[in-house]
Amino acid sequence: MNTWPGPVNSWEGVDAYFTWANSPGMLVLITLVSVCICIGVIIAAAKHESETAEKNK
Amino acid sequence: MTLEELNVFVTTQANVSMEAYYWWCTALMVIIHVGFLMYEVGATRMQNAVSSGVKNLLAFAFMIPTFWLFGWWIYLAFPGGFIPIDLEGYGVPWNVSMGPMLSDQATGIFWAAFTLFACTTASIFSGSVIERIRISAFTFLAVILGSVVWILAASWGWHPDGWLVTRFGFHDAAAAGCVHTVAGLFAFGVLLNLGPRIGKYNEDGSANEIEGHSLVLSFIGLLTLIVGFFGFLGGCLIWGASDIGGWTNIYGAPATLSSFVFNTLMGLAGGMIGAFWWSKGNPFWMMSGGLAGIFICAGGLDIWYPGFAFVLGTIAGCAIIPLNNWLHNTFKIDDCVGAVAIHGGAGILGMLAVGLFATGFPAAGDIPASNFMGQIIGIITMALTGFVPGYVISFIMKSAGWLRVPDAVQKAGIDKAELGLQAYNQ
Repeated sequence: MNTWPGPVNSWEGVDAYFTWANSPGMLVLITLVSVCICIGVIIAAAKHESETAEKNK
Repeated sequence: MTLEELNVFVTTQANVSMEAYYWWCTALMVIIHVGFLMYEVGATRMQNAVSSGVKNLLAFAFMIPTFWLFGWWIYLAFPGGFIPIDLEGYGVPWNVSMGPMLSDQATGIFWAAFTLFACTTASIFSGSVIERIRISAFTFLAVILGSVVWILAASWGWHPDGWLVTRFGFHDAAAAGCVHTVAGLFAFGVLLNLGPRIGKYNEDGSANEIEGHSLVLSFIGLLTLIVGFFGFLGGCLIWGASDIGGWTNIYGAPATLSSFVFNTLMGLAGGMIGAFWWSKGNPFWMMSGGLAGIFICAGGLDIWYPGFAFVLGTIAGCAIIPLNNWLHNTFKIDDCVGAVAIHGGAGILGMLAVGLFATGFPAAGDIPASNFMGQIIGIITMALTGFVPGYVISFIMKSAGWLRVPDAVQKAGIDKAELGLQAYNQ
């Protein structure tokens, strides 16, 4: 899949020059994945702490 | 070379130089984190040394994506208060403005500098809660402080369009309010709910000294912090590039790196000397006093007479020790590194000093000149913006059982119980 935002092998007309720059749906999707990673890791850490607390009772 | 080519050359070089300047300020600010990490780990007992380090690293790691997700947008969207202004998509993570663009050499580099400001703010809070806060709870609170609370305060008082600035002439060149006061008061709010480490207070209310395991590590950490703060303070100035013709403070008024370095060094020295005298030679307070000396000068770092910065630094070095004692005796908190007094106390004094001794300094455009009432309103706003969310959110977390490490785990040592390792082979 070509994710280059401009014509193939050319910088002509290019401003945003990163992967999926011309695909708003992908940017939203990756943003959501980033949010899930942050929240998920905090929840996982909290779960581990609670299990440790149970073991040390 | 034609005049047009010369113009293109100068503009290009100015933009590249701007990028390089903030790039290295950002790199230097990472050293603040190194310093905080060494300081905190040294101030921690051996059985919790690793968890203190992990906690500090997590604040750094989580601040970066969350500041990209919403921190930068908050800064730009809320200068008017609580209602966001329409940025036409700029600053939200799914907009192209939050990625590399040929037409924009500023957003990425300013986002990075502000992200490291956020990391610093979270680290200030980090040291005060060591050895008994749950790592996950700390991480969540650090994100709230670093990617929401302080940057909202910055949007109000450390932004040329912030309501504190445009309506009241609030002047705080190097973030004594939005960084130091907000972080210190946020920590205070959390400490009230978190409670002290086991063994800190006796039943009769008297306190015990809980010594860290490495004074040397804490010393080096504190001095390293000061190195890193040169990146922080350098990042507080705005590169004028080719269209303005020089540095400005964040409000757009003329400023110089010379003023910053004059007053940073003189405040630092004053703080160290003041704390040395007041504490009768306690090295921990000497180094903390040096930091407080910088923070009390931060509000007017662009305009102080260096001799007065030295005097202010000395006052801060003396003031933080009784303030820290008073906070502990009155509220029975356990602020392990004195962050509330050093950052919160010196930050408030820094904003007040501008109101008392630096009124009438003109700002840019229609912004009112610095004045006493503007500083008082700024102090109240910054203190409440730090304290209220810190207290309320940590109270809710405490009620939900998601704030404090259980006593049994504290006694066993967090490193061994939760992380399954130890800092040293004993």
